[in-house]
Amino acid sequence: MAKELHREIFELKKEVLDMGNLALGMLDDSMKALSTQDIELAKITEKRKHKIREMDANIEAKALKLIALYQPMAIDLRRLATILKMITYLARIGRYGKDIASVVEEISKKQPYPAPFVNLQHMWEHTKLMIEDALKAFDESDIKYIDKFEERDNEIDKMRWSIFRECLTYMMEDPKTITSCAFFGMIARFLERSADHACKIAEKVHYMVTGEHKEIS
Amino acid sequence: MVFKSKNKNKLEIEHKNNLNDSNMYQDDTVIECRNLNLWYEESQALMDINMKFKRNEVTAIIGPSGCGKSTLLRCLNRMNDVIEGCRIEGEVLFQGENLYSKNADIRLNRKKIGMIFQKPNPFPMSVYDNITYGPKIHKIIDDKILTEITEKNLRRAVLWDEVRDRLDESAMGLSGGQQQRLCIARALAVEPEILLMDEPTASLDPIATQKIEELILELKKQWTMIIVTHNMQQAARISDYTGFMYLGKLIEFGNTEQIFENPNNQLTENYITGRFG
Repeated sequence: MAKELHREIFELKKEVLDMGNLALGMLDDSMKALSTQDIELAKITEKRKHKIREMDANIEAKALKLIALYQPMAIDLRRLATILKMITYLARIGRYGKDIASVVEEISKKQPYPAPFVNLQHMWEHTKLMIEDALKAFDESDIKYIDKFEERDNEIDKMRWSIFRECLTYMMEDPKTITSCAFFGMIARFLERSADHACKIAEKVHYMVTGEHKEIS
Repeated sequence: MVFKSKNKNKLEIEHKNNLNDSNMYQDDTVIECRNLNLWYEESQALMDINMKFKRNEVTAIIGPSGCGKSTLLRCLNRMNDVIEGCRIEGEVLFQGENLYSKNADIRLNRKKIGMIFQKPNPFPMSVYDNITYGPKIHKIIDDKILTEITEKNLRRAVLWDEVRDRLDESAMGLSGGQQQRLCIARALAVEPEILLMDEPTASLDPIATQKIEELILELKKQWTMIIVTHNMQQAARISDYTGFMYLGKLIEFGNTEQIFENPNNQLTENYITGRFG
């Protein structure tokens, strides 16, 4: 019975990583669509929200079924508990990708983009790395990937406020930039929240690996 | 403890005195194994066991078959004494006194340390006689007191309502779950300090098992319990402390939550996640 449980957990882990790649891909494609004004790509990205919701529900059902059938303990229980929390964070990250994609068409009309867009791209690169590292830590059960998450998250927060202040100065300088700068401020907030979710995943992975709860704020 | 009768039952007085004596132990340890080793002929079944069992807590002992958990439990009221070729070294301190010392009163200690077995073993006599058997041995003959003892202990074992009209009927006619609760009531009737349980629900159906588990949680308000179980979920549900044994050794002993959520020892982790055993 235990072998069957471990095989099922292994399969479920692969599904969680697939969901992680889908969530990360949604954010990535939305940022690509934004930078290239690719409205088609933005629309495709938006539609992927259904897939991520479906994966969230499927994985949750499977994890609950495993708990009911096998009453797992120790690392098995911690892994399933981590999965149940992780899928919520991944679903949120994917939804931020969808939210960004949904403004691409509107924002593309405002050309050229004002300067804060460059910083937004820079912020995205850092956020993406954090999500990737959180997924790697889960995949390899290795907390070395997440040991600097607090500092990295603080950097992302600073970038967000920097973009916000920059947007304000542009909006005051030229009211024509208000729409695009307001959108950029909103997108910076989405990216910052995505990095927060990467931190929450890291907290759960830390618990999964060590059995100890750690707050990354 | 509340005494309803003016004729205070000797056992109850003794029980109360015992409680007062044992309150002297600051860390709440009721019984303790110190460097306990046991051999069956040449084969060593327990190796250097050191364990403290705390008052009013449930301690579960888990481990694969043959790891020595039942042997350890039997050491705690000297039930291994009757096994030929069994040799014990080390100490089992019950309220500070070594159970294995030459001066130990084995009869009194067995009264204070009751035992419940895997298979319900009511005596082939009436429900009433089952409960009063122990008190009678301990010289209680007053019918009124014996009747009080019967009701009180059947209530303690949450069996009174089911058998109050069948006290004179044979205990063998009760269901398996009722028989096991009767055995618990019988053990409680001599006012023990500790209840040892060797897989008390192994032969019961899920409903009867649930009733026994609820009873254990209720009884721990007054008694210290040590339970051997193969059912890890049961250990996780009802115990405060858990010890994991393997090949005669105590591998890990600690808070139940910690043992099942985040064991320190890799062997424990492997056992409770089903990677061996």
